[in-house]
Formats: sequence, structure tokens, C-alpha cells
Amino acid sequence: MSTFIQVVLRSLETGGVYALAALGIIIIFRTSNITHFAQGSMGMFNTYVVATLVAGLKLPLWMATVCGLCTAVLLGCLVDFFIIRRAKKVSPIAKQIITLGLIMVFVGLAPMFFGVDPLSLPRFIESGELNLGGAYLTYNGLFNILLGIILMVILFYVLQKTKMGIAIRTTASNEPVARLMGVPTKNVTLFAWALAACLGCLSGVMIAPTTSVTPNVMDSVQVNALIACVLGGFQTFYGPVLGAYIIAIGTNLLTLYVSSVWGGQLMYLLVLLFIVFRTQGLVGKKLIKKV
Amino acid sequence: MSKTHRAANTLPDQQALSITDLSIQFGGLKAVEGLSFYVKEKEIFGLIGPNGAGKTTAFNCITQFYHPDRGEVLFRCKNGDVVDLVGHPVHEIIRLGLVRTFQNVEVIKELSLIDNVLIGAHTDFKATIFEQALRLPRARREEREMRAKAEQALDFLGIADLKDTLAGGQPYGVLKKVEIARTLMCNPKLIILDEPAAGLNDSETAELAETIRQVRDVYHCTILLVEHDMRLVMNICDRICAISFGQFLACGTPEEIQKDKLVQEAYLGEEEPE
Amino acid sequence: MKKESNTVQPSATPVRSAPGVLKNPYIRYILFGVVICLLPLLANSGIMPSSFVVNLGSVLIYSIVALGLNLLLGYSGLISLGTAGFMGLGAYISGYLTDSVGTPFIVALLVAVIIAAFIGVLVGFVSLRVAGIYLAIATLCVSEILRKTFEELDQFTNGFSGLTASYPKLFGVSLSREMTFVLLAVVLVLVMMLTHNLVNGQMGRALHAMRGSEVAAQAMGIYLLKYRLIVFAIATAYAALGGALYMHFVKFSYPSIWTMMLSLNILAVVVIGGLRSIYGTVIGALIVFAVPDLLLKRIPVIGKIDGIAYIFTGVLIILVVMFYPNGVVGLCNDIKKLFTRGKKKGGASDV
Repeated sequence: MSTFIQVVLRSLETGGVYALAALGIIIIFRTSNITHFAQGSMGMFNTYVVATLVAGLKLPLWMATVCGLCTAVLLGCLVDFFIIRRAKKVSPIAKQIITLGLIMVFVGLAPMFFGVDPLSLPRFIESGELNLGGAYLTYNGLFNILLGIILMVILFYVLQKTKMGIAIRTTASNEPVARLMGVPTKNVTLFAWALAACLGCLSGVMIAPTTSVTPNVMDSVQVNALIACVLGGFQTFYGPVLGAYIIAIGTNLLTLYVSSVWGGQLMYLLVLLFIVFRTQGLVGKKLIKKV
Repeated sequence: MSKTHRAANTLPDQQALSITDLSIQFGGLKAVEGLSFYVKEKEIFGLIGPNGAGKTTAFNCITQFYHPDRGEVLFRCKNGDVVDLVGHPVHEIIRLGLVRTFQNVEVIKELSLIDNVLIGAHTDFKATIFEQALRLPRARREEREMRAKAEQALDFLGIADLKDTLAGGQPYGVLKKVEIARTLMCNPKLIILDEPAAGLNDSETAELAETIRQVRDVYHCTILLVEHDMRLVMNICDRICAISFGQFLACGTPEEIQKDKLVQEAYLGEEEPE
Repeated sequence: MKKESNTVQPSATPVRSAPGVLKNPYIRYILFGVVICLLPLLANSGIMPSSFVVNLGSVLIYSIVALGLNLLLGYSGLISLGTAGFMGLGAYISGYLTDSVGTPFIVALLVAVIIAAFIGVLVGFVSLRVAGIYLAIATLCVSEILRKTFEELDQFTNGFSGLTASYPKLFGVSLSREMTFVLLAVVLVLVMMLTHNLVNGQMGRALHAMRGSEVAAQAMGIYLLKYRLIVFAIATAYAALGGALYMHFVKFSYPSIWTMMLSLNILAVVVIGGLRSIYGTVIGALIVFAVPDLLLKRIPVIGKIDGIAYIFTGVLIILVVMFYPNGVVGLCNDIKKLFTRGKKKGGASDV
């Protein structure tokens, strides 16, 4: 039982990381109609910024993270301003390809700016463990879980209640109409890209201490966040978050109880099967095809 | 499905298509309700109605893009058998001899006109993928024959000299002709034209009317026209069926339809009587 | 015959000035292959370093794989990020069979291609249900499953330490590096011809129609399921063929080779070279897989930057998609038109 709790707690931590990254993807998808494949890669780049500041300038982690968020905002805005905004007319598949190109650009830029040696990133809370009925959770893990949840609560509040949130949701629902109704859709997409980059950066800073900062640090987050979006469906903001937690918990439980070797693959297979039978994902309605 | 295998499907000799009690609803909205009409062999038949009358829905039910909740769509196939189309997979409809065009012309911009027309002959190719990959004699012969046939079709429509130019960038009128040429490739019994006059100017529409008549006379097929443009419909149709809000209003010759009270009401109630 | 050759290549601008024999596309493919086979001589004569052959050989392999992806992305408008996984599958199957089981090279190649094609059919089923944006992620998912399998199934793949193989043995003769290179060129030319036949026939038109509009395609009698399955089977078969050749040309395979980055590189080949162009695909492979190694790394300063290859390819993808959707081939055609504009006008007025 205690192992079960232990696994669930750990899954909540990784699930939170996936969920933050997935939220970035879904916000971009809803505002710019682009499947943002480079979410993880941009996060990786900004994580490098944080790690370099910590290692090179000996900044405390929180201050480095704030700096990382600043570069994330800058990067997000640059990408939107120079690329996405100018590619409005290309087909959805071509837009996907653009973000795939972005992955390559960031993976190439990272060693150019930060060198080829892997960097390490400390945890927010270095030591200490919490004992929950025999299951252990580091304080840092608890911090990550809480941070993820708090951020998501704030985000959903912003989306539901504030003016910006309404603007985002209107743009998401119908961009041309939103523009005609006076919603500053350009600012909305700019904001969305900056926000997505920040979420990517945070998920990077949260996952990096468990491994080392390399161009591959976000690979699993990138893939899992995308799959979470497919699982949760692209039609709502909370679907992907749900999907992210399900994937994290599902993978860990399958690894624990079914097969320590094949757990991950099994989870992916299940997700594939699921979307074959329910193409719209967990949450969302099937759209009627118009002829 | 079971209905299609019933041998009891019969149609009076002169009828090409008969629709009985066709109904479909989308989430409570009755898009088409109890619609019945028939189309005679070799006639040009018009299906008209104001905006949102359910013309396109009715027509999608005939071509099986939508599966009607109720009703029968009896059709006399190429080989003379009468089948109920309901339940047939969409891609098999063309094999039976029923082919359609599209409201907003569906041609492939990256292909030449003749290749676009050849898409219409898709079901007539018998060579397997392996034969095609290795260009074995049967694949080569079929390709040659179909190409000659496609040239004929383009020639018939008067655009043979454009056959090797790409479809992208051609004027709308030419693309409409390409679509018609494409329907001719499968030796159709019945061609359904979905708003063929949409996007054409007056002189082009007049030319189109002439083309439609010629297609009927030369290729000996029946034509069902789903149309908005009253001038075209009144000009070329032998008989017309008018519907409104998914329900049958009237059926008859153009003169009868013009005089029909119900039809007049349906159209005058609209903001745009066109 | 003259007519045949003219009609066979509707999408490419026919080379008008070429003499009669060159008009036949097959002869052009063969000539192209002969030219490729002569390239190792450059290395032997010392004009290029000897690693040139390995570089160029990989370009040929990736051209084969990219031709498959071009069928998907270019002709059918279906995006796939699973290419690397299927390449790896081909590499591991053929490597294991020749090395541990001792099957002949050709048999191993065939088995690899058939197994991959079968999995491709399964992906084709998935593609019928999850179109558009979902498909890229679904195929990425498949690729990830395959990559993890390469890592874990170490009795077959030797896990992280990697699998090695030797140059292929054909009819009892062990090939040298140069002869293997010629073999690659021969396979590439065959694949190009095969692809040429497929895309210019009934199947090619069906794929075009499906890309244009699934609804219209169905109305034209095209059975979506059939063509989705066929096109995915062919694409994965090409990928596995390329992977198997890779295994026996580069002679090793690690799970870390078959990652998403490789899939992206192959996607870049198709996008940069030109969608729906057979020669364009080869040119794209040359740009993506040879230019960074052979040219960029020799330029001072820029060549020293780590990751320059990725930046180069990534930037090219974005630029091509945004400003030149027809790729390098489109650029070539436009330049050609610029020069022959006067001539063409004269020709048109004759008609």
C-alpha cells in the first residue's frame, strides 16, 4: 500500500510537469491554431538559461528562474512576432512543420550558447522528506506538486474571469470573428506564446534536477505533453491537464504492477487505442463533418 | 443493409431514380422530412428551394454521405438492376453509375487538367498496385485507353487544348468544365450537379446550360440539378421539385412550379428571392 | 512512345531541349544512378576526403526513406513523425537476422521490409481515425514505442551498447565499401522508378484526390481505407529498407540514432527538397545530410559552432514553409522559367 501511495505521489509530481507543458501547447493551439511541437525544446532552452545562471553567476535558483522566465517571455514573443504572425496563410500541416523546424533550431542553438557539457540544476528545496503512511515524498516534490496545482488554478482563474482570459477564449473559439469584434487577437497570441514559453521553462526547471541539463532534458516531457493533449482532447483547457496526470499515474502504475520494462510502451499503446476509438479525446464533443 | 440485397426493388420503366419518404434529422432538427420524388430517364431534373431548405442534405442522403434515418433511394444502375442506395459505402456509389460534382469545385490544383479528369476513371482501372508499380502491360494499356477517353471528354467540353496545363490558376469556368468532364469518365447513368451556376456570370451560365443539355444528349444520361439560380433551372429543366424546410412543396414542369402558390410563398418569404 | 513519355511526367516541367532519349524518364533515372556511382572516384582521386563516400552513402539511404515520407506528406498530405522508428526497425531486424541467425542479406532485407510494412498497415488504420493534427502525435507515439523497444529488447538489439553488422554479402561475394555504395545507388534508382510509376498512375491520382478533399475522393470512388493502408505500408517499407541498408553500410545501430530528431531531419528533406518531387527529395537529402558535414563544418567560425547542422536545417525548414512552399525544386523550376520565358511564349502561340 505504501508503495502504491509512493508511486501516486511521484506521479503527481511528474504529472504536474507534463500538465504545465501541455497547458502551454493547448493555449497555443487554441489561440494560433498550431500544434506546438517545440514546447519542450523552448523549455529546454530556457532551462539552460536558468542552469547557466546558477552555475556561472552563482545566482540563487529562484532568481535564476525569474531570469529564465524573462528570457522565456522574450523568446515566446520573438517566435510569435517573427514567425507565427507571418505564417497565417499556410495550411495547418505546414504550421506544424514550422514548429518542428523550431525544435531543430532550439536544439541547435542550445549547445551554441551554453556549450556541450551537461549542466546540473539544484532543487528548490534541497533536503527533507515527508512521511505519509509509509510513503516518502521529498519537500521539493511536495513543492513541485503544489506549485503545479497553484499555477493551474491561477491560470484557470485568469482564463475564466479576467478580461485577458475572455479575450483568449474568444480568440480560441473563432479568431476572425474575435478580431472583428475588437479583440486584440495579435496581443492575445503574443501573450499566449509568452505564457506557453514560461510554462515550458517552469516544467523544465522542475524536471531538470532529476537528470542533467542537456538538449535532451525535455524529450520525455515534450512527448508526454503532446500525448496528454491528444488524450485529453484539444477542445478544452482542462482536458490536457487531466490527460497529463493520467499518463503520469498510468505509466508509473503499469511499470510497478505489470512490467517494469514495458510499462511506458504499454501506456502509449493504450493511449493510441483510446484515441482510435474516441478520436476527440477524453473531453470534448465529436464534430459533425460537413459536406 | 439488408434492403440492398432484397431482389424486390422495382422501378417503373421510365424512372431512373425514385426517392420515397426520405427523412434525416440532426439532433432533433428535421433537415429533411418525408421527401419523395422521382426522376425520369434522360431528363434534366431540378431540385430547388430557398436557403436552408435541405437541398444539399437531401442530395447528401442520395449519395450516402449522410445516412438517412428513414426512406428508400431506388436507383437503376449501369447494368439495369434496381438497387436501394441506402447503406452503400460512399465510394461504391460511383460504380453503380451515379456521380456528382461539387458546389465549390473540387479539383486538384497541382495536377494537370487531364489528370484531374482521369481521377473520375478511378473505378475503371483494373490493374493492381503491383502492376502499376512495375508498369506491366495491363497497367500501361489501361492508362493509355483512359487517357484517350479523358481527351475525348475534354474535347467534348472544348478545353482539350488546355489538357496539360495545371488546374491551379485556371478560371472558374474551366474548372467547372473539368469537373463535368470528370463525371463523364465513369459512363454515368445519373449525374448530380451541385449548384453548377454558383460563381459563374450570366454568359458563363448560359454556356453551362448549353453544356448540360449536350451532356444529356451525347452521353445519354439523366441529370439531377440542385440549384439556386432560377434562370438556369427554369431554362433547362424538364421537371422541377421544390422543397422548403426539408419538406416537399411541389413537383412539375417549370411553368407549373412558377405558378405554384406554395413555392411562391416559400420564395417570397425569403429576403433574397433569387 | 514519344507521347507516352510526355504524358508520364505531367507534374514536372518537361525538359524541352533535351535530346529524344533523355525524354524517357527511366533513362534519366538510370543516367542519374550512373553519375552517382561515379562519385566515389572523386574520393579515390583525392579531390574529396574518403569519409565523403560514407556521407554520400547516407544521403542515398535517407533519400530512399524520404521518398516514402514524400508519398505520405507530399502526395497524401499525411504527416508522420514515425520515420526514424521504422528505419530502426528495419536496421535491427536485418542486423539481427544476418548476424545472429545467419540468414542471407537479401532474405533479411525482405523480412525487415515485410514486417515494417505490416506495422505500417496498422498505423494506416490509426490514420483513418485520427486525421490532421492528431496523426503527427500518434505516429510520434508509435516511434517512441519502437525506440523504447530497441532499448529494452536487448537479446535482439543488444540494448544501449548497439548492434553491429558487416557489409552485405551478395551471392556469396562480400561487398567492399565502394561496392556497397553502388548497391545503394542501384536500390535508390529502383525505388525512384517504382515511386515514379506509382505516383503517375491511378494510385498517384487517388492520393492527390485524397489530399485535396476526402469527401470528393470518396465520391470519385476512391476507397480511403485501401489507399491509406497502401500508402502507409509503402512509406514504412521504404523506411525499413533504408534502415536495413543503413545497418549494412554504416555497420552499427544504437537506439539513440532512431530518435525524433532523425524523423525531423527526414521531414526536412521532404520539405526543403520539394513536396511531390522525386529528384527534389534526393536534392533535399543532399542539403540536409551532406551540406552541414561537407561544407558548413569547413567554414571558419561558423563551422566551429556546435549544433550548426540543426540550426541550418531548422531555419531552412521554416524559411521554405513560409516563403517557398515548393522547396528547392520549385526554385529551380522558377529559375528555369525565367530563362526560357521568351521561348515558351513562342511555343504557346503556335498552339
